[in-house]
Amino acid sequence: MYYSIPKIEYYRPKTLSEALEILAKVEDSKVIAGGTDLLVDMKTSRVRARVLVDINSVAELRGIEDGGEFIRIGAATKLQEILESRIVSEHLPLLKAAVKSMGSWQIRNLATVGGNLCTASPAADTAPPLLAYDAELVIAGLSGLRVVPISKFFTGYRKTTVNRGEILKEVLIRKSGWTGWSYEKLGRRGGFTLSVVAAAVLARVSSSVVEDVRIALNSVAPTPIRAYRAEELLRGRRIGKELVEEAARVVASEVSPIDDVRSTSWYRREMSYRLALETLSRALGVE
Amino acid sequence: MVIKVVEDPRAIIKRWLTAESFITVGRSLERADSMEKVLGRARFVEDFFEEGFLVARIVLAKVPHARIRRMVYDRALENPRIYRVLTHRDIPGENQVGYAIPDQPLLAEGKVRYYGEPIAVVVGEDPDSVNNAVDDVVLEADPLPVLYDPLEAMERRDVLVHEALGSNIAFRTKVRKGDVELGFSKADVVVENTYRTHHQEHAYLEPEAALAVPDLENRITVIATIQYPHLGQRIVARVLGIPSSYVKIVAPYVGGGFGGKDDEGPLVAARAALAAYHLRRPVLLYYTREDSIQTHPKREAAVVKYKSGASRDGRLTAIEVTIVHDTGAYANRGPFILWRATMHSSGPYHVPNAKVDGYCVYTNKVPQGSFRGFGNPPVQFAAEAQMDRLAEKLGLDPVDFRLMNMLRPGSETITGQVLPSSVGIHEALKKLAVESDWRIKRRMYSESREGRFRRGIGVAVGWHGNSTSRAVPDWSNSYIHISRDGSVSVYTGIVEVGQGSPSSSHRQLVAEILGCPIEKINVIFGTTDAPDTGATHASRGTSVGAIGIVVAAGRIRSRLESFLAEYFNVQREDIRISGGDVVVGDRVRMRWEELVALAYSKGVDLSATGYFFLPKGSFNDEVGQGFAYPVFSYIAVVAEVEVDTYTGRVRVLEVHPALAVGKVINPEAVKTQVEGAIIQGLGYVLMEKLAISEYGRVVNDNLTDYVIPTAHETPAIREAVFVEDLWEYGPFGAKGVGEMAFIPMPAAIANAISHALGVGITELPLTIEKVYSLVKQVVG
Repeated sequence: MYYSIPKIEYYRPKTLSEALEILAKVEDSKVIAGGTDLLVDMKTSRVRARVLVDINSVAELRGIEDGGEFIRIGAATKLQEILESRIVSEHLPLLKAAVKSMGSWQIRNLATVGGNLCTASPAADTAPPLLAYDAELVIAGLSGLRVVPISKFFTGYRKTTVNRGEILKEVLIRKSGWTGWSYEKLGRRGGFTLSVVAAAVLARVSSSVVEDVRIALNSVAPTPIRAYRAEELLRGRRIGKELVEEAARVVASEVSPIDDVRSTSWYRREMSYRLALETLSRALGVE
Repeated sequence: MVIKVVEDPRAIIKRWLTAESFITVGRSLERADSMEKVLGRARFVEDFFEEGFLVARIVLAKVPHARIRRMVYDRALENPRIYRVLTHRDIPGENQVGYAIPDQPLLAEGKVRYYGEPIAVVVGEDPDSVNNAVDDVVLEADPLPVLYDPLEAMERRDVLVHEALGSNIAFRTKVRKGDVELGFSKADVVVENTYRTHHQEHAYLEPEAALAVPDLENRITVIATIQYPHLGQRIVARVLGIPSSYVKIVAPYVGGGFGGKDDEGPLVAARAALAAYHLRRPVLLYYTREDSIQTHPKREAAVVKYKSGASRDGRLTAIEVTIVHDTGAYANRGPFILWRATMHSSGPYHVPNAKVDGYCVYTNKVPQGSFRGFGNPPVQFAAEAQMDRLAEKLGLDPVDFRLMNMLRPGSETITGQVLPSSVGIHEALKKLAVESDWRIKRRMYSESREGRFRRGIGVAVGWHGNSTSRAVPDWSNSYIHISRDGSVSVYTGIVEVGQGSPSSSHRQLVAEILGCPIEKINVIFGTTDAPDTGATHASRGTSVGAIGIVVAAGRIRSRLESFLAEYFNVQREDIRISGGDVVVGDRVRMRWEELVALAYSKGVDLSATGYFFLPKGSFNDEVGQGFAYPVFSYIAVVAEVEVDTYTGRVRVLEVHPALAVGKVINPEAVKTQVEGAIIQGLGYVLMEKLAISEYGRVVNDNLTDYVIPTAHETPAIREAVFVEDLWEYGPFGAKGVGEMAFIPMPAAIANAISHALGVGITELPLTIEKVYSLVKQVVG
């Protein structure tokens, strides 16, 4: 390639504090992890960055650990590591299902969970499962750490609560006794596809009663969302086909999809219903 | 004993056509370029870039239709690393580069006619400076009313894309056969529908690029992504106002073309050459993916009105077809594309009465251009949907109904051309129906139209005239030279654009005819140093492109045989040269190298050209009848789909092709062409959709949002059925194959979905949304 991206200054810190210092000190700097979003955006000038701070060598940001109460996933952990992790397989099958649908093997070996969240695309595929798990996001700054629930993380279209000079450090997911889960993603083609709609559901059912349920979707609003009203409707109710249909209708009324080059508002709403129906039925164990 | 040397092309072609046993022909020999490509060593245009070369980019118009006041680029030139901003004023020769009609400037002049039209070339020291400068070129222009709908554009006289023409209809075609009114009066069933098809982006791996290197006294060499070096040479010479002989074009390995680089290649070369001409330094002009998608011509978007009638006994009685092509801002190759659509509109069937009218219409959109199938897929989609509807009304099986009307040797086409031989489609479809379990599956899926997942099976056939339409001249040529060490240099203008003809079939043909070891053969392809061989398009790389190789190699073979016969005083039958072994009578054996050394020492001319001009008839425009093509290639495919009625997702499970393409020189090469075309066709039908905004801009100008198929969507592609219906002029009887499998794919998939859902389909693409809305029509 005689050309790929504009000339840049490049830093590759070894520690988190070093990375934070560079970010604070150097103007116009931007964090790069896998670069699968950022480099494309730089090539087309959607993002103009003069300085890149590469966090791939920061050990504190990598890895998946079982901390007993919580599972911790470092923000710079590659998607392929998540896919291959036994901890994730055992405790976070919903996340695994979503990651499996993301990109190709080559892309998953570059892309990171933190990058996917921080790009904050409405179509971010790690977002629905992490919204359903009610993950907590640890954000590091020069002044210390702060913890933000994922429900407060996305503040608008491609916007997050991460401020300039901060770095998303890790994702914490509380272990919980879910009895069912389900994930569905619909794209314009079968593989390597961006979502047109994706739905993730976690459920705890006891004696045919919904004790708890969480429903999350992407690509149907300016940010990935939870379908709180549908969850509310289901909680404490006895499971049944009609209930699930009603809940799916509520999901479809909670979304606010748009027409764009990838799909239409009409179809996304129809599919919100359809995917909610599918995932809820499976997670709740309704035939 | 002297054998007369045979130099007559026809005699040579005939000799090898009637060969009964083969050494290399018909075998899946490995391509000469496989390893280089797998190892990443093969060089494409930008790989020739070196430190110190200048870089250039095109500036695209950001208005769909406007009268240019002026171009302002002072700010761009403020950067000392930017050397020039070139506009039409800087063109020393002609700015006019229209292929079919002189309507297209190399760089916009007077007016802008589509969003994405090249208006200038920025040349500078480094890519970043050039990229920034591109944004600093400002077009000051007065907006004009825009036309996007070809049906509207046809009627409008107040808004004209090209004022000089007085109409937005760039070109018309017609075919008239028999009496359609009489034909329809004899029909027991009549079906009438309007079909719509859409643009397609070529999405080749390698975007357009050209590296122009100025030479002594305004001579220039251009390394370019191009499908026809000699056309590039002509265009560059015309733009620079220098003789063609001063221009050398080289197409190195080209990363995919599919027709797109036949249209855009010469223009990229000319723009790079213009920059190098002015700067007197090597310049690399490179299209970004976005530039490429915005500016280069796309597959024809067509509206096809189709009325057809058949009698109760299953015979087609008449067709009446109107084809409207949205050619966009420039005719480009629109007239040729329209001719092909018009000629093929009946499908490969005998239709006694036909009335076909074609219109190539200007709009303010990215131009229409060459793309695998060249106007044919939309008309076959329409014709084959019509065949299914007619069969349904007649209560006939779609395959049976097709077979009843299919062309056979001796049949007459709708242009009144009689096809004496090489018409193997009837046999191919018959075999395909058996091998694909058509009847069983068709019945099975018809009986189980319920549940979430519904299966369907569809059939479609296609035909494709080899060579250019009508009497447009076409020829083949090559130059072969044998060195003293016995190695063989083969020069051809045919390009290696992924299909592999220079790296596989061409070598096999030379080895077969000369009898030399295949590893001694080096094919020097894609260069104007070779004789003009015509373009690498229209499935002609081997079928037409290699005729010249047969002729040149055949001439040398004949001279060697004549020489051996005289020297050893034997008959021709006593001479065998194959695989590098030479046997003369029962006394003499020698190696190929020894034969060459001997021939050199005795004054045998071991260099030959192989020019062959294809014999053609004429077409009468007045009556709409006459000669269309020297021969046709044929294909039938059966496609099986599964439709998810909950989402509209279609999975193509299996595709089974059958081809009647004459002699198969390299089965593996043919297989890969067929597979590639099937996948490309599948993408076109199911997911590819160019989105054009209200400002005429292609919105999805990247491969994130312009979705093409991947390995995930690739269906099981079954072993093809081959009917080797030899063509009298083809190399060993070969016909064209590159485009074939694309042509019936829209129809086959649409017919299969139609079968699964029990609903007629008239519009492409069949995206998940579109199929979901079809499902809604059926199940609510």
